[in-house]
Amino acid sequence: MSLLDIKNLTLEIDIAGEWVKALDKINLVINEGQIHALVGESGSGKSLVIKAIVGAIPQRWRVTADRMTWRGQDLLTMSIKNRRKVIRSDISVIFQNPKSSLDPLLTLGEQLKEIVPEARLESRLFWRREKEREKIVMELLHRVGIKDHKLCMKSYPHQISNDVCQKFMIAMALVSEPKLIIADDPTRGMEVTAKSQILKLLSRVNQVRKLSVLFVSHDLLAISSMAHYMTVLYCGQTVESGDMLQLKKRALHPYTQALLDSAPSFRKDLPPKSPLSSLDGTIPTLQHLPIGCRLGPRCPRARRECVVVPAVRRVHQHYYSCHFPLHWDKK
Amino acid sequence: MLRVVLRFTNLVVLTLLALSFFSFVLIYLFPGEPLANLSGIPNPSPQEIEQLQHLYHRDSVFIVQYWYYLIDLFSGNWGLSFSSGLSLSSEVARTLPASIELSTYALLLSFIVGLPLGFLAGLRHHKTTDYALLSVSVLGYSIPVFWLAMLLILGFSLQLGWFPLSGRISLLYEVPRISGFILLDILWSDIENKSDVFIDAVRHLILPTLSIAAFTTTIILRIMRRSFIETMNSDYVQAAVARGLTSRQVIWKHAIRNSLMPILPLLGMQFTTLLTNAMIVEVIFSWPGIGNWLIQAIYQRDYPAIRVGMLAVATLVVIFTMTIDLFLRLVDPKKSKVERVAI
Repeated sequence: MSLLDIKNLTLEIDIAGEWVKALDKINLVINEGQIHALVGESGSGKSLVIKAIVGAIPQRWRVTADRMTWRGQDLLTMSIKNRRKVIRSDISVIFQNPKSSLDPLLTLGEQLKEIVPEARLESRLFWRREKEREKIVMELLHRVGIKDHKLCMKSYPHQISNDVCQKFMIAMALVSEPKLIIADDPTRGMEVTAKSQILKLLSRVNQVRKLSVLFVSHDLLAISSMAHYMTVLYCGQTVESGDMLQLKKRALHPYTQALLDSAPSFRKDLPPKSPLSSLDGTIPTLQHLPIGCRLGPRCPRARRECVVVPAVRRVHQHYYSCHFPLHWDKK
Repeated sequence: MLRVVLRFTNLVVLTLLALSFFSFVLIYLFPGEPLANLSGIPNPSPQEIEQLQHLYHRDSVFIVQYWYYLIDLFSGNWGLSFSSGLSLSSEVARTLPASIELSTYALLLSFIVGLPLGFLAGLRHHKTTDYALLSVSVLGYSIPVFWLAMLLILGFSLQLGWFPLSGRISLLYEVPRISGFILLDILWSDIENKSDVFIDAVRHLILPTLSIAAFTTTIILRIMRRSFIETMNSDYVQAAVARGLTSRQVIWKHAIRNSLMPILPLLGMQFTTLLTNAMIVEVIFSWPGIGNWLIQAIYQRDYPAIRVGMLAVATLVVIFTMTIDLFLRLVDPKKSKVERVAI
């Protein structure tokens, strides 16, 4: 059964009096125990998808969706209070900038203890509860690989290094024993060892606790080895989603192919001194979105038909939205 | 922490030294005889001049003179006033507490009113409450203080007769001076009909306090509002929301504390404006404070009084600002330099 099921999620932002679709009909299905990768270049709306899921968006933005359910419960029609409750108990988010997503005036220990759910405490007496909280927090910190928990707990966010901070964020995400962890580019700006530690940690959590992980990143190399399923986002539109292996082997959308090509280690037959492939141009700003398929101006296969938004097509478990997919002519 | 305190003390001492030096130089810069400016005796006779020469060590080097000037400052020999002939230290001791009292009440009032309103406006951002509070604050921000004071006098003293026109307390009552702060003095003294006297003093306080507080309140309101909105949009508050904390938890535990942090340095900066406004209002309400006294001194070209008054006010401002800075430095964990590399 799918945990999170999003169909045609649209997010509109008011820019200087004009409503712009920052997210245009996003589809996303996350199943239990699965690592799902959400990939796209910066500015493609990855973080917005997450904010829309957890409801941390300004009230004046408009969110609409045909379907947005969490284990059968509709998230959009739910009251804010209930939604918070669901998110508190079932979904945890690890943010991009670990440092700026921690309150600078509270110690790490205080912040971690604050979110230990009441349900995990057995005792009724507050001083025993405090002890229990300490114990839970300590075990968690050890589990994510922070050895000196005492020092960590009494530090302020600005006092610790970035990768420790990210580990701490993972501990924070695990404390409520969620069903789904959303990791928003957790390895950004880290050096390789710290990065691999974080990735290992996440995949171990996935294997041991049967947790689903929604892994958001633009780093294909990091993701490809651990993710089971991948959704590619471009400029607020889902262009392709499917099984990770399938996608790697036989991408149907030109954008996915370009993304894969831009990471040289995916191409085994790359001769020396050959130019790196990349799409021309840059991702358009929200004020100047092209009509139809938003990849249009940059797409090598674009034709006149591309000014119409392509419908989602399906081949088995492989979804893509393109008028002229790759490998199409051969069929 | 001790090092921080020491550093700040050092800074205060140095600043005060510079100020005292400036006031010493003023003796020579003011028109008239330096000796007269220093001692406060307008036209000394040759005999007195000789005495004063000796008293102020006028025959020694400039720096040595300054040293004796400092000693005089610390021992309270600040000279006499040209106009009243009274000792300046007693004059300042009489007027300064009155000003501090007035400014303190004004500051307290503006905090009590400004902070919650600013918080409310920030909470109701982009809604009617916010816009209403913002427009009112623009009004309070742009009304000149003296004009507001005049309007208050016109309305509440002359038309309605609710509050007395001027002064600190009705002439009928006599309050013995202990601390110089009138409300405290009344509470401490054992005069009869204490409560009547107290009420009278409070009624005298209301109009001047209101006219000073109007400006500061609006400033605090605006800064609090902006700071709260910024904090609510910051990453960690958004993250706290995304973690599923209730709105109450987010606001009370994270948003308010963080949005209060920029208010305190602001307080240090606004203190000078507050004091300036208090001086103007003192003149209008004939409040026997240092502002009123200084402005009278300026009118009468009472150079010793100007020199000492300036020094007293500047010292007050420096010490207050530095204390606030020091307090902030000690309270804010972000400013402490401990870095933990390995955990």
